[in-house]
Amino acid sequence: MHSILAVDDSASMRQMVSFTLKSAGYNVVEAVDGQDAWEKAGGRSFDLVLTDQNMPRMDGISLTKKLRENPQFKSTPILILTTESSDQMKQAGRAAGATGWLVKPFDPNKLIEVIQKVIR
Amino acid sequence: MSFDDPVANQSAVMPLLFAADLQDHLMTASTDLERLQRLLDDACLALIEGFHSSAGQLAEVIDRGHEITPELQEVRHKLFKAVTALQFQDMATQLIAHTNQRLRSCADQIARDALGADDPDGAAVVENVPLKPNPVTQDEMDAGSVELF
Repeated sequence: MHSILAVDDSASMRQMVSFTLKSAGYNVVEAVDGQDAWEKAGGRSFDLVLTDQNMPRMDGISLTKKLRENPQFKSTPILILTTESSDQMKQAGRAAGATGWLVKPFDPNKLIEVIQKVIR
Repeated sequence: MSFDDPVANQSAVMPLLFAADLQDHLMTASTDLERLQRLLDDACLALIEGFHSSAGQLAEVIDRGHEITPELQEVRHKLFKAVTALQFQDMATQLIAHTNQRLRSCADQIARDALGADDPDGAAVVENVPLKPNPVTQDEMDAGSVELF
């Protein structure tokens, strides 16, 4: 079973993401912000990271940069799921090493489709 | 008074009573937004509890090996629709926080520039107005875009 690290500071968003991913058969580990995700990523590997952008302590782009510096996450798909839709932010995400940029609100079927496409 | 001093100019054109009244309105709006946030949180908590109850029942039926009938597919489809709609809480929370920050910053700015030493609450501490634009640009609950790099 593929494992996904789902990162969002909003409890309701984490619940929606978890429900969606679990219903598609994925194992989900939740993190409350980038720092929490970074600590959880240190202890194990994941098949995909799905992260929010605007979070306290560490945002999604900073998390992506840090994960990409870790050889274990060099080729792990990292998707940023955020309310931010500006081209400037998307380019920053891309430069940081993100695999894709998804703007909230997400459609569960579409999210599952994208994850199936990028996960190895 | 020097006309080169923008703060002095502002004080001159904004009568004290008007400034105090405007500041009061801004603070009232800010407090109302905080109340709106609490109402939203309470309502969403109830909605999400209901959602999880339904989702849990569906998962139990599927886990028991029950055939996925068209009716169950329809329930799953409706729950997925609810997932998209329930994300409004996260977006609304960000929008409220951003707007509230701006309102409070304006109120503090007025207190400092127009009321100054006359402010009975003392000199205001002015927060920086967020330089970043509002992160929430969506004006409807249609699903957002997907871009793979």
